Amino acid sequence: MSLYEIRDMAIQIDGKRLVEGVNISVEAGKCTAIIGASGSGKSLSCLTPFGLTPGEALGSIKLDGIELIGADAHQMHKARSRLTGFVFQQPLTALTPHLTIGAQLQEAAAQAGPSRLSRHELVQKLERVGLSRADERLDQFPHRLSGGERQRVMIAAAIAHRPKLLIADEPTSALDASLRGEIMALLDELRAEQGLAMLLVSHDLASVEGHSDDLIVMDQGRVVESGSTADIIANPQEDYTKRLMAATPRLTEPAPDLPAVGNMLMETEAVTVIFPRPGWRRGKIEAVVDASLTLSEGEAVAIVGGSGSGKSTLGRAIAGIGPLTSGTINWQGEVLPERRARSLAMRRLIQPVFQDPVASLDPQWRVSDIVAEPLKNLRPDLLRADRDGMVEKALDDVGLGAEYLERVPTSLSGGQAQRVAIARAIIAGPQLLVLDEATSALDPLVGSSILQLLAQLQRANGLTIIFITHDIASARRLCHRIVVLDEGRIVEMGDMAAVIEHPNADTTKRLIAAS
Amino acid sequence: MSGQKPHPSPSGEGPGVGQSKTVSHSPTPTPPLKGRGYSKHWPLWVVLVLIALALVLPALLPWTYDQIDWDAVRAPAFSGSHIFGTDEIGRDRLARLAAGTRVTLMVAIAAALVSLVVGIAWGATAGWVGGKVDEAMMRFVDALYALPFMFIVILLMVIFGRSILLVFVGIGLVEWLTMARVVRGQVMALKERPFILAAEAAGTPPLTIILKHVLPNIAGVALAYLMLTVPQVVMVESFLSFLGLGVQEPLTSLGILVKEGADDMDMTPLGLLLPGGLLVLLLVCLTIEGERLRDIYS
Amino acid sequence: MTAIPTLLAIILASFFLMRLAPGGPFDGERPLPPETQAALQTAYGLDKPLWEQAWLYVSRLVQGDFGPSLVYRDFTVSELVAQGLPISLTLGGLAITLALLIGISAGLFAAVRAGKAADKTIMMLATVATALPTFVTGPALALLLGLWLGLLPVSGRGEGWSWLIMPVVALALPVSGAIAKLTRAGLATVLKQDHIRTARARGLSETKILFKHGLRPALVPVASYLGPAAAGLLTGAVVVETVFGLPGLGRYFVQGALNRDYPLVLGVVTLYAALIILFNLFADLIYGWLDPRMREG
Repeated sequence: MSLYEIRDMAIQIDGKRLVEGVNISVEAGKCTAIIGASGSGKSLSCLTPFGLTPGEALGSIKLDGIELIGADAHQMHKARSRLTGFVFQQPLTALTPHLTIGAQLQEAAAQAGPSRLSRHELVQKLERVGLSRADERLDQFPHRLSGGERQRVMIAAAIAHRPKLLIADEPTSALDASLRGEIMALLDELRAEQGLAMLLVSHDLASVEGHSDDLIVMDQGRVVESGSTADIIANPQEDYTKRLMAATPRLTEPAPDLPAVGNMLMETEAVTVIFPRPGWRRGKIEAVVDASLTLSEGEAVAIVGGSGSGKSTLGRAIAGIGPLTSGTINWQGEVLPERRARSLAMRRLIQPVFQDPVASLDPQWRVSDIVAEPLKNLRPDLLRADRDGMVEKALDDVGLGAEYLERVPTSLSGGQAQRVAIARAIIAGPQLLVLDEATSALDPLVGSSILQLLAQLQRANGLTIIFITHDIASARRLCHRIVVLDEGRIVEMGDMAAVIEHPNADTTKRLIAAS
Repeated sequence: MSGQKPHPSPSGEGPGVGQSKTVSHSPTPTPPLKGRGYSKHWPLWVVLVLIALALVLPALLPWTYDQIDWDAVRAPAFSGSHIFGTDEIGRDRLARLAAGTRVTLMVAIAAALVSLVVGIAWGATAGWVGGKVDEAMMRFVDALYALPFMFIVILLMVIFGRSILLVFVGIGLVEWLTMARVVRGQVMALKERPFILAAEAAGTPPLTIILKHVLPNIAGVALAYLMLTVPQVVMVESFLSFLGLGVQEPLTSLGILVKEGADDMDMTPLGLLLPGGLLVLLLVCLTIEGERLRDIYS
Repeated sequence: MTAIPTLLAIILASFFLMRLAPGGPFDGERPLPPETQAALQTAYGLDKPLWEQAWLYVSRLVQGDFGPSLVYRDFTVSELVAQGLPISLTLGGLAITLALLIGISAGLFAAVRAGKAADKTIMMLATVATALPTFVTGPALALLLGLWLGLLPVSGRGEGWSWLIMPVVALALPVSGAIAKLTRAGLATVLKQDHIRTARARGLSETKILFKHGLRPALVPVASYLGPAAAGLLTGAVVVETVFGLPGLGRYFVQGALNRDYPLVLGVVTLYAALIILFNLFADLIYGWLDPRMREG
């Protein structure tokens, strides 16, 4: 019998069934992964048996021989605290801000029994999860640690009482891309070392591959497919799984056929962006330093880096919606001035698309007004009727019908909103699109359809694209070349295939490992 | 007074370090105010009925608020044409209540509007310009927050005489601080929203961005805080009048009526309980309604 | 660090405000002969240029000398203040303590019973309490407990401590309502946060989660309200001292303002400002304890 066995579980909140017919089993020393889009019920299925959601679980849930459904308070408490450890998604907020690392670790360890751990033992626990200067950390408050360090503390606390089952709910999704590989490796290592059973939840198929033995694919509160991870990935049976596989970009998939590249379009020379530190204190933050890159007509270039690498700042400086401290941006040999000094004709050339599709659209405006906004300013020569026609055409180009004209942003799904944002970006006929993590906030299926749309526009309109992302695999589907940024500096640049094959910079290697 | 942001400590912290002490309200789209049922909005209806009564009653009553009925000094309730009786010099209580409510609410609304205008202008400028300008402007607001401002207002009243204009300018100038903070927080958050950047890329001029994108998105919150400012101002005005520093006789206000009632309470308790109760009822209703609006918009 | 300049700014602002006004301390019912006026002006240094007077005032203040009272001519401002301050401090101190006690416990109780009838009742009462101005509750309490029931003295300081009850309750009520609401809202926010789920996953009891992990961050809004609350209490004290006939600072302030007793008014404003600034510094310390993220700038 498995250590953790869920049979025919249903979950309801306020009488509404959100999850039905779920079977999960996890063996000691093995990892079972659940993947699904947001709203698929994957987190609910993992946390509800332990009373960590407002939901109520029905069916049968056995942990180490104890039936959790209808268990009395004592058994439930034992199951929750002694047998199980939890790692959550948000390392920034999952630790109590006013208690020291040591106190929280001690509290976690106390689940095993009332005896207090010595300081030395606590230090060992932190060292085991790869934290340096562990002794010093014990007396620090969580906010002094970086995101990756906090997630290590979370893991140390989750296993401090030697549980048998570890539940990891999107343990790496909120982390910087370059850290994800390390954290997953640590979890694998601990699982093997302590014979832990692990239940791993993720929205991303690629991130569980190679870490899990069994895989469960969920969609809309139901299990679509389950079985061994290798089998499912090699030979998916269900339509949804197949689509999900196709939608998940991978470095191993065949290289895409990209459109031909023309003459030099744009060139940046030693672009530097420096922000003053907030507050009265002196000092500056060098967000981007000496970034020089070139872009040809019809070319797509990926700017890749972790969070805080300056990739968005560089993109905004190029698009003329962010500051530029020094350096020049040449457009077909002509210097583009900074931000507000750009003429309307110059603004028309470059348009941005952002990460959060809902925040990209003014909630007070209708779709037709949103899409028409660039035309009103950048093409004042147009008549109203022409403008209306162009708005419909632009919506049609992004796959939305005329019925969307009167909609308001709050009534749109993420994918629809991103399509509207793209329609707004292309309506005034720009030559360059700056896409800032334009697919990162979307579910895999939606994200990949947006990627497809972009590839289509790239070909049809001869668009040049700057694709800012942390995810090399999805950049590879669209881009000819890659520029890797770390701490504001370009650390590597070159042909996409060549860089993936032979990465030189450490940052590039880490980002490739995480994809 | 609730929902204020913590004061920055002397070392201070600028924008962008939102994690720590700037509990900024995230701007939310303004939801439509429909289908919420009339019964849930009883406080609003109470206020509206009171306003209507304050406006209509003086025309209907046989007595004006400053008219003295020499035959009925300290008349009890329901004596003759005096429904609530008369005060210690024979003036009709109901007429005085209506007149007092009218003055109090007029001052409150005018002063709340002053605070709205000053608060939005100050907060929006600080939030939009950002950087050192924002830092300096908000430091100023923080400093004023810490002041015994009421005392300065009292000084103003004493010194420049008790004109009704000065009453509400003075109060409005005190009460704009919260509005400025709230608006600034909203504008700061909005400024970073991609749709503002997209508008900039679309060539929309800055003034148009402020008018068409920023202001409509803070209107709901500003309205909610305007509603919450009204009871604050009622409180301040009544306080000043109670001390004899607010509006001047023969004009009356709820604060003056409470004061008169308190001075004469051993003889006619009704003189204290009526205006006091009315004042509390107004304050409670306005506060409930304002807080509900605030919870919807922020 | 900003405390001293702020205080100085307040003193100077009040100083010039008072002097810019028409009228003076010696305009009694019947005008004094011009020679007497002039002599008095010279005696109190009122004939010197304004800036010099301001400078003199501030430099004396630094040495703890508030100057003479112009209206209570037998007393110095320091003597009046020494008499009034203890009463005002007792009132204010007791009121804030009471308000914190009532407010935090009521807010806690309501948060634990979130959504239930007890929660709704407490929150409604808190809203009503915040809308209770001291100048209404003060006289109303005096009427009910003093005049009608005869339980407590209506005015002045009688025997023992009973004279404090009504003024303190009248002062504390609105503040306790506000604190209850802030505590309840703070807890509602904090209890939804991720670190509470972490604590729950560790199998801690709900009580322990509430007090060890939830309460401290939830009280941050309460701490930020302390500054405005202190200012509110001091203004409220003016009313309460007037209503209950207590010779505290507030009474002197109103009397002084009405009679143009410059040194007295300035003295009281200075003290009030210093108290409020002190209280804000104290609130900053509390922040740091409640949330260590605020200890660093």
